[in-house]
Amino acid sequence: MIDKDKLRKADVFSGTLIVLLGFVIISQALKMPMKDSYAGVQNVWYVSPALFPMLVGAMITLLGLLLVRTAIKSVGKAGIQQVFDYFRSPDFNEFLKAHTTIRFYGIVLTLFVFVFLLVPRIDFFLGAILFLLIFFFMFYCGTDEDLPRLILMIVTGTFVLGAYILTGLAGKIDEIIPFSADYLVLLFIVILVAYYFKKLKTNPELFKKFKLSLLIGFLAPFTIGVIFKYFLLVPMPFEGVVVYLLDAVWYAEIWS
Amino acid sequence: MVILERIQTFFEIAGSMISEPVSLAILFGSVLLGILFGAMPGLTSTLGVALLTALTYSMDTPMAMICLLSIYVGGTYGGSYASILINIPGTAAAAATALDGYPLAQKGEGGRAIGLTTTASAIGTIVSMLFVVSISPLISRFALEFTSFEFFLLAFFGILISGTLTAPDLVIKGWIAGFLGLFLACIGRDQLQFFPRFTFGITELESGIEVVPVLIGAFGIPQIIDVLRAKSQMPKAEKLQRIIPEFGTVLRNIPAIIRSALIGVGIGAVPGIGEDIAGWVSYGTAKNTSKHPETFGTGELKGVIASETANNACVGGAMIPLLNLGIPGSPPAAMLLGALMLHGVTPGPMMSFEHPTFILEVAAILLLASMAMWITGMILAKQVVKVLNIPTPLFMPIIGILCIIGSYSLGLNIFNLYLMLPVGIICYFLTNMGYPIAPLVIGVILGPMADENLRRALMVSQGSFMPVFQRPVSLILFIIIVLTVLSQFGWYKRIVEHLKGKLFNNSKPA
Repeated sequence: MIDKDKLRKADVFSGTLIVLLGFVIISQALKMPMKDSYAGVQNVWYVSPALFPMLVGAMITLLGLLLVRTAIKSVGKAGIQQVFDYFRSPDFNEFLKAHTTIRFYGIVLTLFVFVFLLVPRIDFFLGAILFLLIFFFMFYCGTDEDLPRLILMIVTGTFVLGAYILTGLAGKIDEIIPFSADYLVLLFIVILVAYYFKKLKTNPELFKKFKLSLLIGFLAPFTIGVIFKYFLLVPMPFEGVVVYLLDAVWYAEIWS
Repeated sequence: MVILERIQTFFEIAGSMISEPVSLAILFGSVLLGILFGAMPGLTSTLGVALLTALTYSMDTPMAMICLLSIYVGGTYGGSYASILINIPGTAAAAATALDGYPLAQKGEGGRAIGLTTTASAIGTIVSMLFVVSISPLISRFALEFTSFEFFLLAFFGILISGTLTAPDLVIKGWIAGFLGLFLACIGRDQLQFFPRFTFGITELESGIEVVPVLIGAFGIPQIIDVLRAKSQMPKAEKLQRIIPEFGTVLRNIPAIIRSALIGVGIGAVPGIGEDIAGWVSYGTAKNTSKHPETFGTGELKGVIASETANNACVGGAMIPLLNLGIPGSPPAAMLLGALMLHGVTPGPMMSFEHPTFILEVAAILLLASMAMWITGMILAKQVVKVLNIPTPLFMPIIGILCIIGSYSLGLNIFNLYLMLPVGIICYFLTNMGYPIAPLVIGVILGPMADENLRRALMVSQGSFMPVFQRPVSLILFIIIVLTVLSQFGWYKRIVEHLKGKLFNNSKPA
């Protein structure tokens, strides 16, 4: 949590957002049937589906206003002006470039890419390996200085993979090579590993961490995935080339 | 007669659980997993219960409950390891333990401290179990008299009190978090008229938001971001010596243990307040009532015992409102409620009719889990502390994968992930700006109950709010809610002070 003084300044803005949310809730609730009939039922105000959202919206608005009032009382107009000045100052630029901020971008970007791009479209095992390796290289064997470059690699990879899938190219190539997007992700994994291998091989301490990262990066998805897929019988979100191979091994006739 | 029958049933249930090797393996395995989860800074028992909910989805209800309650008990206790040995609380519940636990470890008494906390935690859990068994039938019978107004006010009270007591900054923020949770609960088709609310044409939202993925996002994602962003190095753990506690010391501290357990049960029973507050309140009480308060903070065994007994006693305390009223007493209990609903069990006053032995089953699991925790703690403590050497950047991303696959596996719905991640990111910002997450979660859980009961009550009273003032329980709840709200305003505090002053002065002899 940030310190009290900064918190009060931030409260002015978060409180305003909360008031706006309250208004949105109330405005949406006003569109719901109040006294008019819905689905053949004549409404009265106290059974209206709008009643509870209106109450919640009103409370959110009221509490948001109270928060803004408390914050303004605490920091005064000068405090709010300081916030606007801060956004225009070099300090804000420094904050945006600080290691902790860049780490935050890296974490959120990786999570979003994994959830919105990889999980629904790429073999779960490959996606999970890439996800883990990125995190391990970001925070375990990589340094903060490497982070911007790694983030650039993620952005580039996302654009390439996104374009490959969303332009329909993947669908066409899949007719010749099934699960072609999986191979593209496999290629990203190889590039990532090769890059860090080259970068870290001269540093024995980091190289040891690199080897451990590789081991866990490959082992963990297989352990988790196999438990969910074959013991808990949960189908993977997207079953691609690795699941296809695992299925062939798991359900092979030789075991029976 | 009824009491004897209940005791007999209780021991039959406990006996059947011990006699089944699978239950026993799950009991010990889950307790150990819980201890590991609690011991690793950054992982909490709430997250442990959340992740295991996905794994227990295909189990039958009793087995799932063994698994989830055991990880809850183990996780709450496990936090003490990191507090004592590296001065970083493994969980928020063990924050107060670090104050005296770490100085003890520095003096070379880390093993002694862990041995005592293990025993105190086990006793705390058992005391809370006794309360679950003895108080539940009374509350359940009392709650059967509740009408819709009472349930609406109870849900409202739960959110308000949770917001009031868990807010790390301003109380208003706790309330805002609670109402944000209520708003999330409004999403989807309403229960009475099936009208789509806040769905914005997204068909996946029509059935409402899935509670468990939202909880996983709310508790898991902020934790992952926080730990990885901080990139903090774990300090070297202090060495452990003898763990088996001296029973003389335990016996001497029995009054303190019982007092702390009672505090834990009491705080656990208040809706939405977690083990961390129980730990702090109990620690504060122990310090204030001590003849030598100056020794607290320098390695006082009583301090460690107070916080650890209370946080584990809170587990059983949290079960009381959960099982009898359907209102979770703590964030992990909220997670348990989600899990129970997935298994088709709806906690509340009707529980004793629909599942007559369920409360006894929970009590039996608490008893067995506390014993398993003690045995595991005594045998494996020296091995468990080795997890403190695992670097956080290695296990947090794996937790991320578990959050994602866990959210997906509940209903096999990718939309759960699209919900879980944004909720997690929003919760991260909220946490950093001093908004507590527990009231938000309680709001999501209690929202449907509050909404449905408000409208049902008004239907019965033809739109009149008068029954609130005519029914004693409603009136009491209403007054408590009003006082809770008013107590946050300066002018109210001034009036109360003024009145107190007047009364005090008037009562003085002339």
